Amino acid sequence: MTGDGCTYCEDDVLAYVAGELAAEADLEMSVHLGDCVECRESAADFKALQPMISECCRDEALRWHTFASPFGRMFVAATSKGVARLTWRALGEEEFLDWVGEQHPGRPLIRDPEALADVEREVTEYFRGDRAEFDMDVDLSVLGAFERHVLEELTEAIRFGQVIPYSELAKRIGKPKAARAVGNAVGANPVPIVVPCHRVVRLDGSLGGYGGGIEYKERLLEIEGREDLLKAG
Amino acid sequence: MRPVTAHAGGTGEAGRVGRAGIVAPDLLEGWIEGYGPELRRHLTRMLPSEADTDDLLQEVWVRAMRKPPEPGSNVRAWLYRVATNAALDRLATDGRRCCALVGRRLELAPDPASAPDEALGSLSPAARFRVREKVATLPPKQREAVWLRWVEGRDYEAIAARLDCSKASARANVYNGMKRLRVELLDVWNEENGQ
Repeated sequence: MTGDGCTYCEDDVLAYVAGELAAEADLEMSVHLGDCVECRESAADFKALQPMISECCRDEALRWHTFASPFGRMFVAATSKGVARLTWRALGEEEFLDWVGEQHPGRPLIRDPEALADVEREVTEYFRGDRAEFDMDVDLSVLGAFERHVLEELTEAIRFGQVIPYSELAKRIGKPKAARAVGNAVGANPVPIVVPCHRVVRLDGSLGGYGGGIEYKERLLEIEGREDLLKAG
Repeated sequence: MRPVTAHAGGTGEAGRVGRAGIVAPDLLEGWIEGYGPELRRHLTRMLPSEADTDDLLQEVWVRAMRKPPEPGSNVRAWLYRVATNAALDRLATDGRRCCALVGRRLELAPDPASAPDEALGSLSPAARFRVREKVATLPPKQREAVWLRWVEGRDYEAIAARLDCSKASARANVYNGMKRLRVELLDVWNEENGQ
């Protein structure tokens, strides 16, 4: 990106716009921008880019983090509103980022262990048996209103160690005939463990399904002291 | 960055500020007299219109009076920097390049520093989405480096620590990301304007 006889490259222009040059070099570039159309245009673009990136992305980025758990490598992603995805089913970073990217198109994904340190701590405490309630917001905005309603009611009403049949949960949200739809909503839960879909079971006392794998549902219920259900199932 | 030699006369006696934040009227007059003509020529070269030149030169002096350069700094370099920045912002509103996207914002909020919240939202939601999309699809290291540098304002050392790479590599990732974004946003602009 240099004009005729221009000895500067785009990196020099960027360094200037970023204010990273010493006074003498800074002055020389200022003067040069008066002479060189191409450097001037890239400088104007770069100078405009910086606030544009910040304004367009600041509140829209998803932060993600990964940490070890008894279930394997745990991946978590959060918007500015709360945790939007938690999973131990991704084979690796790339797959996880693909999943999240599909659900939240056009939103930059930024690895941010600091911002998600509390999530890691709370989940770890839960696995150790040192935590019964999660103190974090979740963002279920990728779901429809019905699914959100089901999962919010579930989180609100069914606490550590309790379970509820699908049909009972359907009654709680005022749709007694919608047990199957409730099952689907529970299955669509993007934030398992925190939104306790493992606490939803069949009316006959068997465990029913679990998106994360039935053996994990069993282990979560064990953590919550419900071995009785495992024998019944 | 290759070494660049200093211009002569940048740090002469008349180019010093007495005390932080205070500019004696005779000092400012000295600057106007000493540097005014060359700054005017500089701005004329940078801008398409004479009227803009007068406007911006006034802005430079107002800025020099209200928020003068640090004592002991190179005043000529400082004045050139302020004038050049003002000219670059003005160029961004001329609507011919990728920065035209943000140029609309600048027209609505001439002083972004004083009203960051007002400035928000003046880009169309569609434009904001396109910009975000371009950032989102940068290669991961470039995306994070650009983000940490320009959204969170981290320095290269912090970025290097986060990306687990050298400072030089952190900087290269920021730069390469910015260069790529510029090209892609030019494409967005061209698409939206049927070119």
